[in-house]
Amino acid sequence: MTEKANDPIALWQKTISEIEKGLNAFANQAMGSPEFSKMMNQAGGITAGAQNQFRELMERYLLMANLPSRAQLIGIAERLQTIETQLNDMRALLQQVTNSTSAQRSPTNSPRPPRTKRPPQPTS
Amino acid sequence: MSDTTASDLGAIPARIQSEIQRAIQRSIKGVEYFSSSGPALGLTPKDVLSVRGTMNLYHYRPVADEIYRVPILIVMATTNRGYILDLVRGQSFVEFLIQRGYDVFMLDWTPPRPEEKSLRMEDYVLDFIPDCIRHVQQESGEKDVTVIGYCFGGVLSLLYGSIFHDGPIKNLVCLTTPIDFHEMKLFANFADRRYFDVDRLVDSVGNMPPEMILSSFEMLRPVSRAVSQVQLWEKMWSDDYVKSYRMFDRWATDILPLSGEYFRCMTKELFWDNKIYKGTMSVGGHAVDLSKIKVPVLHAVAEHDHIVPYDSARHVIKMVGSEDKEEVMLKGGHVSLVAGPNAIKRLWPKLDSWLGGRSI
Repeated sequence: MTEKANDPIALWQKTISEIEKGLNAFANQAMGSPEFSKMMNQAGGITAGAQNQFRELMERYLLMANLPSRAQLIGIAERLQTIETQLNDMRALLQQVTNSTSAQRSPTNSPRPPRTKRPPQPTS
Repeated sequence: MSDTTASDLGAIPARIQSEIQRAIQRSIKGVEYFSSSGPALGLTPKDVLSVRGTMNLYHYRPVADEIYRVPILIVMATTNRGYILDLVRGQSFVEFLIQRGYDVFMLDWTPPRPEEKSLRMEDYVLDFIPDCIRHVQQESGEKDVTVIGYCFGGVLSLLYGSIFHDGPIKNLVCLTTPIDFHEMKLFANFADRRYFDVDRLVDSVGNMPPEMILSSFEMLRPVSRAVSQVQLWEKMWSDDYVKSYRMFDRWATDILPLSGEYFRCMTKELFWDNKIYKGTMSVGGHAVDLSKIKVPVLHAVAEHDHIVPYDSARHVIKMVGSEDKEEVMLKGGHVSLVAGPNAIKRLWPKLDSWLGGRSI
């Protein structure tokens, strides 16, 4: 106990922890006020509006520069994802066909354990 | 008194030596930290049963010789990845459950795509969960299913359970699940209807960006992130600490975007009108009445949960209509309730002892 009280490292860690708790509590109190909500949402609204305008401007620029926009790239990514999903489905189907024609069994198709388990009896 | 002081003084050289060794280790491991990635997570063997846009259903491969009759479907929170419940070996909730003989499935989420911005609450409650339940029934051959919902996954499970009260849920486990959203005071204040124009936001961004969601989580404890970085540097010499830090930090910052319409509904119906608590909520025309839930319910809450404060979660047990119901308050916070050493010691054995007898 005394050793810990005199340990400068432990004291430093305790101090940091106390400062953290204090500052968090103080900030939480400030953030609980309607004024904070008003200020935060005004700032957030301005940022969202600016981002929107910038995005529209950027899309026009990319169109002029004959470059794909973010939305178009996302569209391509989605189509790739769809193709990947279809490939996975085909692979799964192929695996099923292979399993049914060979003796090999995947872990998915291996015999399932019986559903007969009972909870262990409490020891008295 | 003087003896104690003398022994303290005698211990100083050893303490200095230990600190010098730690400082050296800190520098070496600090370089390693920045040049390597964290541990691989979510590796318990599983099969993907269904993928439909943001919805993913996994089935973890049983390892026990004999399993309980009733399978478990874990419904993950829509803002977070499911691997928090499947960290590394020895620290995985899923691994714990399958080793104890449960048949475990998980409804996990991936980022909704831009075209999924129109997903609404009813898509989650009346489509995704029932679809997963059907898959679980088909895969297990059992009609009954135990549902475990974590955080907002618990809210979705409660909504599902109240609408399909004659349905297949055999047991319902909620892990730190809020229903009185006015008691999530800071979130409610951030979303104050006088200042927060959710329509304008959703209409302009489509899906809610994960950065915005992460910021709102971090604002609940604004200093903690900086302090955790200081603590990481101090404990850089400890491999266990660094590994644990990396796992939790990766998960905590790996936030999912939320579908725009779903977020709009959460804001208006839950944070503004508090409809579940007031009993006025409906999903896709189905009235939500928690008192219609009659199955055994366990609600585990955390003593120091800063995301879902106890006041926002305490009404679950009062409002469900079950006779067999229990609330258990455990030490820990929102995340340490379910993962990490605290969970291994407290929640997991409690859940096993509660669920075992109800899974036959």
